[in-house]
Amino acid sequence: MTPGRLAGRRALITGGASGIGLACARRLLAEGAAAVLLDRRADALASAAGVGAAPVACDIRDPGAVAAAVARAAGLLGGPADVLVNSAGVYRIAPLLDLTPREWDDVLAVNLRGTFLAGRAVAAALIEAGLPGAIVNISSTAGLLADASEPSAHYNASKAGVLALTRQMAAEWAPHGIRANAVCPGVIDTPMLRLMDDPAAGAAYLQADVPQRRLGSADEVAAVIVFLVSDDASYLTGAAVPVDGGITAI
Amino acid sequence: MRAIVTGAARGLGAAIAGRLARDGADVALLDMSVDVMASAGRLAGDVGAAGDAGGAGRQVAVGLVADVSDENACAAAVDRAVHAIGGVDVLVNNAGIGGPDTDVTRTSLAEFRRVLDVNLTGIFLMCREVARVMIGQGSGGAIVNLGSVFGQQGVAGGAGYCASKAGVALLTHSLALELAPHNIRANTIAPGNMATEMHWDELRSRAARSGGTFDEQVEMVRASVPLGRHGTGGDIAGVVAWLVSPDAGYVTGQTIGVNGGIWLS
Repeated sequence: MTPGRLAGRRALITGGASGIGLACARRLLAEGAAAVLLDRRADALASAAGVGAAPVACDIRDPGAVAAAVARAAGLLGGPADVLVNSAGVYRIAPLLDLTPREWDDVLAVNLRGTFLAGRAVAAALIEAGLPGAIVNISSTAGLLADASEPSAHYNASKAGVLALTRQMAAEWAPHGIRANAVCPGVIDTPMLRLMDDPAAGAAYLQADVPQRRLGSADEVAAVIVFLVSDDASYLTGAAVPVDGGITAI
Repeated sequence: MRAIVTGAARGLGAAIAGRLARDGADVALLDMSVDVMASAGRLAGDVGAAGDAGGAGRQVAVGLVADVSDENACAAAVDRAVHAIGGVDVLVNNAGIGGPDTDVTRTSLAEFRRVLDVNLTGIFLMCREVARVMIGQGSGGAIVNLGSVFGQQGVAGGAGYCASKAGVALLTHSLALELAPHNIRANTIAPGNMATEMHWDELRSRAARSGGTFDEQVEMVRASVPLGRHGTGGDIAGVVAWLVSPDAGYVTGQTIGVNGGIWLS
């Protein structure tokens, strides 16, 4: 935590009403940034706004809604957002043989299409204004590894897609001074976590498959995201940074 | 925080030691060049730190001369560093050499062994000595090893260097698994093309071989980087400062590319 490190920065956080997005908002505000939270759920946004960020309701799947929300955020922030954290996402479990095309489309629409729409809208505004910026997309260790015990091909494919999208954002927008990186959280203690639904199986997994032998916290992921948008990461772009207690080192 | 930084006489190592000291760490700077004594002295002056015999309550910056590829010298240097800075919480293994710029068919065994000895065996020895101390202290720790983007992709004429740096990444990841139960994290930083004497030497060598000029080589590399510039010591030091901090508390066994956007393709 470095108070004032992000003074003057204008942050937009999608999926900001809970979990990693909300933890990011708290941390960005604590280091001096102004922040706007986007979320589909207006009720959750209202309580999340208590952290000191402005709430804007938005369905991240809808191009018109995203464009309007990014413009509204710029008004609230006093300029185009120069920090974007794409944390809007959904997690569903379904074995491939039971997975319907509708379920596939629903997950891809939020996790991958939404990340594309918000990233494009924010980058377009920055490039038009001639301003640099930093984007962090939330991928997952599920975008790097398969998991037979929690089968979710649609989620995993969407998160692998986010990595390719992130590299492309980095390549195309580097000449404009916009950096784009991804984080790959492992098993993180958020409302999205399903691992601990069966506490005994969850504990066994942590012992056997997580070198640090514990869940990560949303605050620990937020700390990495805030590093990535800070000037300490000024030569880092196109990277995927696992925040997973060592899962992907095995 | 008590930190040991190797290869700290100049370049990236000096920048890393400087950043950690300015962030408040007691630092032992280790290098095979005696120049490290002057570097440590300057750093001590900059941050108002004392030397080896620093009094209670004063920050310490101390220089040590040792070749990390020498087992006995390594153990002795770690012993002295731990004594001088009162223990060790952070190890940054930055010491490395560029190795020969030759095709495999023209590389002597001695040349190949030398780059492996310094870049890979040296990191093994430093990690082994320091991890033993950290485990004994029982207060966790963080290790950062310098790999390279050229440990992730091959370079014609650089087989020894590339092999050594690829080895660093997997050594580090294995170490992370072994040390996680002791709350010691271990990660690799893979720099891209850095504005260091080591990189300029390589470009001079390339220019000589290709018949072009040094400036043309510099521009060719610069143009290949999406962010449009060489990396600096500060770019690496910022990532080291993060990796050894609680902000990276759930990050272990990873390779972090710091390369301006030159990724694997």
